[in-house]
Amino acid sequence: MKPMKGAGPRPAVAMTATIMATALVLGGCSGSGGKKAEEEAASGAAPGAGPRLKVAMVTHSGPGDTFWDIVQKGARAAATKDNVELLYSADPDGGKQAQLVQTAIDQKVDGIIVTLAKPDAMRDVLAKATAAKIPVVSINSGAAESARLGALVHFGQDETVAGEAAGEQLKKIGATKAVCVVHEQGNVGLEDRCAGAKKTFGGPMENLFVQGTNMPQVKSSITAKLQTDSGIDGILTLGAPFAATAVDSVKETGSDAKVGTFDMNKELIASLRDGSIQFAVDQQPYLQGYLAVDELWLLKNNGNVVGGGRPVLTGPAIVTKDDAGTIAPFADRGTR
Amino acid sequence: MTGSGSAPLVRLTGVGKNYGNVIALREVDLQVSAGEVTCVLGDNGAGKSTLIKIVAGLHRHDTGTYEVEGRRVSLASPREALDLGIATVYQDLAVVPLMPVWRNFFLGSEKRRGLGRLDVPYMRRTTRSELLGMGIDLRDVDQPIGTLSGGERQCVAIARAVHFGAKVLVLDEPTAALGVKQAGVVLRYIVQARERGLGVILITHNPHHAYPVGDRFLILNRGRVIGHHTKDEITREELTALMAGGAELEQLAHELEHTASGAAAARELAKGAEDLRPPPAP
Amino acid sequence: MSQAVLKSAAAADERLARRSPLRRLAGRPEFGALLGAAVLFAFFSVVADAFLRASSFSTVLYAASTFGIMAVSVALLMIGGEFDLSAGVMVTTGALVAALVSYQLTLNVWVGVVISLVVTLGLGLLNGLLYVRTGLPSFIVTLGTFLMLAGANLGVTKLVTGNVASDSIRDMDGFDAARAVFAADLDVGGVRVNVTVLWWLLFVAVATWILLRTRTGNWIFACGGAPGSARAVGVPVARVKVGLFMGVAFTAWFSGMHLLFAYSSVQSGEGVGNEFYYIICAVIGGCLLTGGYGSAIGAAIGAFIFGMTSKGIVYAEWNPDWFKFFLGAMLLLATVVNLVVRRRAEPSR
Repeated sequence: MKPMKGAGPRPAVAMTATIMATALVLGGCSGSGGKKAEEEAASGAAPGAGPRLKVAMVTHSGPGDTFWDIVQKGARAAATKDNVELLYSADPDGGKQAQLVQTAIDQKVDGIIVTLAKPDAMRDVLAKATAAKIPVVSINSGAAESARLGALVHFGQDETVAGEAAGEQLKKIGATKAVCVVHEQGNVGLEDRCAGAKKTFGGPMENLFVQGTNMPQVKSSITAKLQTDSGIDGILTLGAPFAATAVDSVKETGSDAKVGTFDMNKELIASLRDGSIQFAVDQQPYLQGYLAVDELWLLKNNGNVVGGGRPVLTGPAIVTKDDAGTIAPFADRGTR
Repeated sequence: MTGSGSAPLVRLTGVGKNYGNVIALREVDLQVSAGEVTCVLGDNGAGKSTLIKIVAGLHRHDTGTYEVEGRRVSLASPREALDLGIATVYQDLAVVPLMPVWRNFFLGSEKRRGLGRLDVPYMRRTTRSELLGMGIDLRDVDQPIGTLSGGERQCVAIARAVHFGAKVLVLDEPTAALGVKQAGVVLRYIVQARERGLGVILITHNPHHAYPVGDRFLILNRGRVIGHHTKDEITREELTALMAGGAELEQLAHELEHTASGAAAARELAKGAEDLRPPPAP
Repeated sequence: MSQAVLKSAAAADERLARRSPLRRLAGRPEFGALLGAAVLFAFFSVVADAFLRASSFSTVLYAASTFGIMAVSVALLMIGGEFDLSAGVMVTTGALVAALVSYQLTLNVWVGVVISLVVTLGLGLLNGLLYVRTGLPSFIVTLGTFLMLAGANLGVTKLVTGNVASDSIRDMDGFDAARAVFAADLDVGGVRVNVTVLWWLLFVAVATWILLRTRTGNWIFACGGAPGSARAVGVPVARVKVGLFMGVAFTAWFSGMHLLFAYSSVQSGEGVGNEFYYIICAVIGGCLLTGGYGSAIGAAIGAFIFGMTSKGIVYAEWNPDWFKFFLGAMLLLATVVNLVVRRRAEPSR
């Protein structure tokens, strides 16, 4: 819903505005880029067979998060293929997430996919799911608690392991002194990534806190950091949009710092290709959604359990200039 | 100047006002001529504020007629009243405390030169001289008006109304929140306005403030007029008694006599009512 | 007559001379903030080596300007007695509208810029009309529009692009020109200065002029200070307030354009929480939360303090965990200073 109407301007004004807008639209076509360029590429997928299942997916995602958007896309793709009805819901608050799981149990779904960011909050409700004989698969965070809370399988990335991979990569591209840009203060997952990177990086690495909801502030903070210490030659951001901003800061200060990042988006591919960003650590969120739905389907139709009771890692996958070309179309689609 | 000789500046005849099924005011006559102060007296809930809102253009009257200089009007907004020369100064709504004196003085009627620019020197100068002319000597017209005393603030509001060509000043309880000395300042100012040839409608519940400055007195009770006198028809004591509702006190005394414990109190009240009763007409 | 007036004015000046200039300065709304800014500047100059460099100062100014542009209009609105909690997300809305319109319809980006202006001003009008018509506190009304906009930002973006961020418009017609206007880096004596700094100064100058030298400014103070009194002397209070909400919308549009053309794509979840930083800037700069008092210059100083603090902590290489603590302490301090000012202006009854 667009809360624009109801504030109707006077007719004459409205008409003038319409005429102006029309004139602008007619006169102002762009010759390059835009949707038209994007529409030159398209593809499809085929649905699968089997009895219709109902699966609930309950995550701790906040609104508007690229990462969870991709997880959801993976889950939907698998759901379409496996003839599964997917019910997606999310709440960053542990207690409310548990309530959402409870509503899934009440709906008598055939399987539940949860994230275990706050395992204690989920304990009781997952016990109820087990009692109701609803299979549970956990994804993303909570690898350590997954089995204990009654989940069959866990698909996720260990943030520390991913951080370690990033640290190694940073060392490999020749950085000796680095900053780790934390865009959300007090987020354990982000802190783990930085801690892991620090472990394998070898050189000094500091955390820099920026306000992720305000891009100009992100930029000016990174710029300030580079101005303070000209010895910094490596920047590790923990989200793709912040990597692009870090590149701006590097250009502005004339620093020779190399930028690496966690997570992917389609703009990142171009930056990887032109070398302004050196690498991206992808935890392949698509896989987490896709595999979780697939696992529940396999369990129902063939009794399979993946991973032998151990967490299944979906990353880290390091993406560099070399694989950027292969991945580009997928990132364009918003699934990588 | 014009018309002041023939018709009164403001005349209300048989004016009434209902809020839903509540009758707030009925059959009220009121008039004020140039160089005259009409006082409207009454206790809380007597209908004073309804009357003032009608005169000021905040509410429209339901019955009766409202004439300004002999012409029948029905005011839709305070702006219309202002344009007819009727300026109202409210007790609490007189000024904006945090704004400088001169900005308050010109608020709503700012003097501008080209491009919407305020003519600040002119406004500062005028504020100072206008207030000086009314006997208020300010050290600094840039000080927030909130730093002035309550009486001075009322005076600034009144001086503003006078400066912007008001013919009729409607003053809503200008002395209510003031001490004796401050009230005196305001009353003196009202007399000055009268001498300048303005008509003044003074709303108050204090007969001691009304009597010295008033030419006519209108006493309201429960939305009705219970007395309408010129100064030569009534003494200060009679006015006070009317205001205090002498008759009502007497009745209360009768009621209390029927209870044993109330008897003593009733005697006291009866005595009080006796004192308040206007002396028989000479 | 005029001679007499002049004479009395001169006499008054003599009496005025007894008030020291410092005391007069202390009476201005931005005084507390100015004092704070000077102390902070000296402080960071001492503790952070990199702070005093010209390039660093330019970074601080950039950070300050992105807050400051919004803080100016938010300060005017607060002086007028109202809040706008939707100011933060409205910036994102403005940027998203321009990005989505230009990209999806493959139009010159300037078309998106203009349509975005119309939409944002419409949102400001909506805020204002909702406030005026319902009579609810603006805090509640704009909280409603804040949540609706936050939801619409995400919902519409997802619906249109299939992702949670707008597509990059960097290679589209008009982008470079728009970038030059909204996000250019200028070379001032060998130092890069973002164009937003200049815009910021311009907006502050215009807002100050409006506040102190126009009738509208007088009305803004009156509407915030005592709306009843203002109405009684014929000030169109409702119109002034609607105008102020639209002023916030205008700067939100401008900030949105900066966001879009500086970073070429916009995250739909951005902007949430910034509204409070704008209000903080205004309050640090001497605006009263209850309205009727404050200044645009004060809000600019508030934004400068904000930029200085947030970047100063980086330059000083302190533990960033304490950033918000520092900010909170400063807000408290500023509010206390303002309280003292107000007590001086309003004698106890």
